[in-house]
Amino acid sequence: MLHFNNSTPLTLGVELELMIVNRRDYNLTRGSDDLLLLIDRQQHGYDIKPEITQGMIEIGTAIHQGSDAMLQELQRIRALLVSSAQKLNLGLAGGGSHPFQHWSEQQIYPKERYQLVSELYGYLAKQFTVYGQHIHIGCPDGDSAIRLSHYLARYIPHFIALSASSPFYQGMDTLFQTSRLTSVNAFPLSGCMPCVENWAQFNDYFQHMAELGIVASMKDFYWDIRPKPEYGTVEIRICDTPLDIVTPTLLAAYAQMLAHRCLSEEWHDIQAAHYHTYNYNRFQACRFGFDGVLVDGAARQQTGLQEDLLGTLNALQPQARALNCEKELSLLRERTLKRQSDSQWLRAIHHHSGSLSEVVRRQSEHWMYGSAA
Amino acid sequence: MSHLPWHSLSLNPLAAFGILLTLGVIGGQIANRAGRLPAITGYVLTGLIIGPASLHLLNQPLLSAADLFVNLALGLALFESGRRVDLHWLRVERTLLLTTLCYCLAVFAALCALLLQGGLGGQASSMMAALGMATSPIVILEMLRETRAEGQVSERLTTATALSSLLSVIVFAIALSSAHLQNQHSTEDAILSPAWLILGSSLLGLLAGLLAIALNRWLGSQQRQRQTVLLFGLIALLVGLSVMLNALPSLALLVFGLATRNLHGGHTVSEPGLLSGSHFFFVAFFVAAGAQLAPQALASHWPLALAYLLLRSAIPMLCWWLLAPQNCLSRQRGLWLGLALNPLSGGSAMLLGMSTLALGADASAFSGTMMAVFVISELTGPLLTRLALHRAGDIPSED
Repeated sequence: MLHFNNSTPLTLGVELELMIVNRRDYNLTRGSDDLLLLIDRQQHGYDIKPEITQGMIEIGTAIHQGSDAMLQELQRIRALLVSSAQKLNLGLAGGGSHPFQHWSEQQIYPKERYQLVSELYGYLAKQFTVYGQHIHIGCPDGDSAIRLSHYLARYIPHFIALSASSPFYQGMDTLFQTSRLTSVNAFPLSGCMPCVENWAQFNDYFQHMAELGIVASMKDFYWDIRPKPEYGTVEIRICDTPLDIVTPTLLAAYAQMLAHRCLSEEWHDIQAAHYHTYNYNRFQACRFGFDGVLVDGAARQQTGLQEDLLGTLNALQPQARALNCEKELSLLRERTLKRQSDSQWLRAIHHHSGSLSEVVRRQSEHWMYGSAA
Repeated sequence: MSHLPWHSLSLNPLAAFGILLTLGVIGGQIANRAGRLPAITGYVLTGLIIGPASLHLLNQPLLSAADLFVNLALGLALFESGRRVDLHWLRVERTLLLTTLCYCLAVFAALCALLLQGGLGGQASSMMAALGMATSPIVILEMLRETRAEGQVSERLTTATALSSLLSVIVFAIALSSAHLQNQHSTEDAILSPAWLILGSSLLGLLAGLLAIALNRWLGSQQRQRQTVLLFGLIALLVGLSVMLNALPSLALLVFGLATRNLHGGHTVSEPGLLSGSHFFFVAFFVAAGAQLAPQALASHWPLALAYLLLRSAIPMLCWWLLAPQNCLSRQRGLWLGLALNPLSGGSAMLLGMSTLALGADASAFSGTMMAVFVISELTGPLLTRLALHRAGDIPSED
């Protein structure tokens, strides 16, 4: 039986998975241990930990009421990471996937859980060397968490388009705005949560899966959105790690505004029919970003992703006022209107330099030293 | 029937190169499989067996003819080694620079004292001590490639290797100047020649770097293959020019690599890296190096050679152990880094000729001792480096 630890509604937290690269050719390097060792020599109190392969590191913020405080914390974490990485001649970068690393060269981090994942999933574990942003939103109870998870599924393409930063994979331009999700899709327990209506039903589902020996904990579900009972949150796991530290806070603010609308309007329109077009819309966002097309199964109509996103942002004005995040809403609108994406920026660098190594170098400079204004 | 070719069968340089490669690969594989030794040790042993000292399958003229490939290998390794020196990092992490300077100077002083004690003259001692400061870039790069080692020990190892080679060449040129003065050679030999060796070689390397960046830009971003061919051509040209102009190819190549790494626009000059394509030349280099060894030198020079190598190993280990925490390493990893720096620079052999010219009477003792040092170092160095990288945790575990 999973117990949902209730938390303050609409509180926020983000986790970012980052690349660790060498500063010679900017390929991934097994630097997580050395970096963590050096960071832990200082007293910092931040959540910085290893990830599944040794060319990755994950940072997590504390619980925040709004994105301003979150940005300030991210800046402090970045300063700590950068000072340590500089001493070790390592680069840190955002982005959903490393453009030219080869999955077979990656080493699984020597931690029991990761070793088990590697044993179970074979090469998929190493291919999971991709980098995402996870957004946590506080929920008052398990039932609200289930409702919010279903509500946010409708907006998953928006998050994909806004965060897309993995156009290159294994040395090739994939033509996708985000190629990262292809690695996630390979896992049998990926995709979306089943159409349960409340926490009790979710618990039944979990118990059933556990009794069948398919899962042991919530960590075994690689869903795009999942409840996180131990934190008392809903976790959005669909975003690529953005290239800078401002975008993660904008995405968090967007999630917070949507959650505010869902919980305040007591939305409860949970239907399996809503999921008929889920994968198709998700694909459109991954492949085309802002230029994708979204299909509304119930209304039997298609809308451009950019138009749909702008419409949603316009409708969120009251929530932005209530949550004091009008600045974030305005920045999101501006980016959407300009179709401004990290993937586009990466492609432009590659077009100009012809070098994927140069792409990662610029990515790394951007994350480590880019302005947070 | 006397005109048939097998009546006067002798190897030409191309056949010699073929033998170096073929037998080298076989030897490397046997060493790997049978003795769990690094492939480099197998290459060197193969050279020793087929060279003038043993089976005489390759004689001195053929080895000289294969010099083209050997020098190219050295050029590629030194260029790549220079590219591993990141001046931005050295500005942030000054301890690394200081530790390298510290152990190199300590090695130089200790070796000088040992060699003087061992009966060598002042000039021979200082030159031999200068050669002892440098770690072999080609061995280190090949070991890192073979073992896929990565991490802080490897990162600092490659930087320290390049810096030690730079320091060694500069101190060697100064020692050479002093030898010319002591042996009352002309002022030109005494002052101009070493100045040219250092400044001229550095200038050549810098010019090559600027040229590579400019041509790279001119070729355009979509011409990666042509850029690689161009870079290879510039390395060959620089090796050849340095020899023609009596400069130091090793210094010129190191500066070339350093310039392309650190000057604006040089970052993409070597992409994809040249190392994967250089393996051919590296194998030939190690087999040829093995063939040049004369183990008989051990008979008369082994005590001094052994003491030289022990001192040369112990001092870096001690320095890196002492300064490990300041270098973001545990004491143990510092110790292993010191040991990994063991392989003596193969490029030093190129400097031997210059030394013997300047040394006069001391030349024979100098060459004999140096040869004994090379025999031991080339056979044991790679093994010690691999052991050190393994113990430092930089070699990935097999899945």
